[in-house]
Amino acid sequence: MRVIATPSTCAVSSLCVYRLPTVFDQDEDGLVLILDDHPDPTLHEELHRAARACPTNSIKILDSD
Amino acid sequence: MTADVSPEVCPHAANPPRYPFAWSPPMEMPEALRDVHGSSAMEVTLPSGDTATLVTRYQDVRALFADKRLSRNIARPDCARISKDNDLFMDPHIDPDPPKHTQVRSLVTKAFTARRIESLRPYVQEVADQLLDEMAAGPRPAELNEAFAFPLPIKVICKLLGVPAEDRDQFRGYVDGFLAVTKLPPEEIGKARQNLWKYLGDLIEAKRANPADDLISEFIRVRDEDDNRMNEHELHFWCQGLLIAGYVTTASQIGTGTAVLLNRPDLVREIQADWSLVPSAVEELLRTQIMGSSVGTMRYAVEDIPLSDGSVIKKGTSVLLSEEGANCDPAVFDNPFELDIRREENHHMTFGAGIHYCVGAALARMELQIATESLLRRFPSIRLAKPANELPRALGGFMEGFTEIPVDW
Repeated sequence: MRVIATPSTCAVSSLCVYRLPTVFDQDEDGLVLILDDHPDPTLHEELHRAARACPTNSIKILDSD
Repeated sequence: MTADVSPEVCPHAANPPRYPFAWSPPMEMPEALRDVHGSSAMEVTLPSGDTATLVTRYQDVRALFADKRLSRNIARPDCARISKDNDLFMDPHIDPDPPKHTQVRSLVTKAFTARRIESLRPYVQEVADQLLDEMAAGPRPAELNEAFAFPLPIKVICKLLGVPAEDRDQFRGYVDGFLAVTKLPPEEIGKARQNLWKYLGDLIEAKRANPADDLISEFIRVRDEDDNRMNEHELHFWCQGLLIAGYVTTASQIGTGTAVLLNRPDLVREIQADWSLVPSAVEELLRTQIMGSSVGTMRYAVEDIPLSDGSVIKKGTSVLLSEEGANCDPAVFDNPFELDIRREENHHMTFGAGIHYCVGAALARMELQIATESLLRRFPSIRLAKPANELPRALGGFMEGFTEIPVDW
């Protein structure tokens, strides 16, 4: 499972950073950064929640690499 | 299905219901919201007498918040007005759509990253503790808005923006007038708006002469170095917007949310037995108890837009995206009219979605969490000092929280 994010559509809600600080971070302007694009399987449920919660649908989860 | 054969949204509704919907009883979500999900949208009559299309289903609201076919620029001659006496947010010199919006927003977002917000946490806690100490030492019952709900976010936004906190009584009055929809006569609204504009103008000049490490100084620096990014009028407008949005909303939500919670002592005890419930309780209070209606989400359709029920919003229609409709859509939320402080999937629309998502949402959440926990810890037996259904709502304004919340402990 791989997670990707699109900084160009990010609206800086910070929801993903609060939810999964080991996976998501923000650059100086607040735009989303991925710290770990292959998160541990124990985090997968939270990852899906983060993707659903993103107000701009800027987070995508890919089932395969 | 193509646009020309699709039914138009409520083409000829005879008597569109008035909007905002009535809060009756004042502690619960408006009764009218129970009936709005049968279609994607309905026509409503605004306080100005103009009509607009209220989009009510979660799926549509969420999608439309991110839809470029809806313009946020409502300074158009044929766009519905919210109030007859107040041209709220209809400034013809401001374009809140991209690309202008993108240029200005990116100046602000860096001040609202999770890291920057977290760096404010100790300050917010300190202010909360100090206010609660003063409340404990003051008369009983205390009035929660004045003692706690307003001063807390005002002090925080003043620190962030670089506005002197001692000016708060002054600008609070102006902002209250600015946000009046029907509750003040037109001359008073006009005077308040002028006073607020002048207050901000003086403040900007003072900051220009003596810049500091704050958001308004940063705005001024960018404006003075790069004229294309923001002109003087825009600088002024957005500083005003941040000052208003930065405290009125959070203050109303702290007051209203707390009142709703205190009306349910069982839930208060549940939180006091497990403080980890604070964030989900705060989210649920945000979902169920929007302290303002959705009149602030006015948009204008620049193209035809099909909705999920097959109807179409016609180009040239004024559109309100109903946050509160989305938040109680039974297709998304189980028992939407029930206050469930343990709700797990709570992706409510209170902060919007898309490129206009509330830039201060993380700050607001942090303040609401600190306010709720600090208050319930400091006063373990805090309670409403007046029957909940007698608390007066602030009607005729942008923020419809409670005007007085007497509490005892």
